[in-house]
Amino acid sequence: MSQNNEGAAWTILGYLLSGPLFWGGVGYGLDTWLGTGYFLASGLLLGMGAALYLVWLRFGR
Amino acid sequence: MRSMYSFLAEGDEFVPPSSRDFVLPPIFGDNPYSTKPIFLVFLSVILLSLFFVMASRKAAIVPSKMQFAGETVYAYVRNELGRDIIGHEFMRFVPYLFSLFTFILVNNWFGIIPMLQFPTMSRISFAYVLGIITFAVFHYVGIRHHGIIKYLKDILFMPGVPKPVYILLTPIEVATYLIVRPLTLSLRLFANMFAGHLLLMIFILGGEHLLQGAITLKLVSPFAFAFGIALTFFEFLVQCLQAYIFTLLTALYIGGALADEH
Repeated sequence: MSQNNEGAAWTILGYLLSGPLFWGGVGYGLDTWLGTGYFLASGLLLGMGAALYLVWLRFGR
Repeated sequence: MRSMYSFLAEGDEFVPPSSRDFVLPPIFGDNPYSTKPIFLVFLSVILLSLFFVMASRKAAIVPSKMQFAGETVYAYVRNELGRDIIGHEFMRFVPYLFSLFTFILVNNWFGIIPMLQFPTMSRISFAYVLGIITFAVFHYVGIRHHGIIKYLKDILFMPGVPKPVYILLTPIEVATYLIVRPLTLSLRLFANMFAGHLLLMIFILGGEHLLQGAITLKLVSPFAFAFGIALTFFEFLVQCLQAYIFTLLTALYIGGALADEH
């Protein structure tokens, strides 16, 4: 699939969505559980970073 | 439940169209399976069957107009969406891609065909079902092609990454393959059809409401109708595009499941 640019674009979009979605969700859960307020933001950032790393792993190297 | 045109009886106040306008009452008594979208789905299947049977029945070397139209659609799906994206095993999937494309296309077109004028896919369940079918197809194909162990390993573990990083990456892969892919597929189709229908309703019902107002409002109403007509042509493009995107992504996912390296 990596030789197909259109496919790459949609795969990247999927990763960039599900990264923040999953780790942001974990952060939100932790915030609700522990009564804190910073896990959601860190989770979103972590998820975005991990998703970008994943994109690089698959298409960048 | 308020039907699409009932606001006319509600006095001077303009009631803007809302999501309630998509909940149509049953046609026969209280049977919840006799609503307009259900009949539209059946109608689309009948129309498609008729068209393609008639287009292919008297196949000739020099095609009739109908055969030409049918073959153009088929060739487009087979070559552009099947062969170019899936690769050498594409013929197995052409029937599915072709049915999917024409089915979504016709059901979307119902949104602007006079008298029907309701895009079936603006009811989210239909879009969900199509998403689930594509989801099942591409995972099944991947499992059959690679075997379940290798297929799951390919999805879950990106090669060349230090082991602790998998804690970070594997959940994202799982979410992408199991949730985000089918969900975005369905939601994209649903949201486009829903928003398009809402937009048309606002301009056309709004124009009609202006027509019943004072003389100054009457003078403005042609502009609302003109916008409504222009947006109808725009909707036509969106409807074709959404059928195309859905089929394209299905082909891409199948191609990805068949690919030897991820």
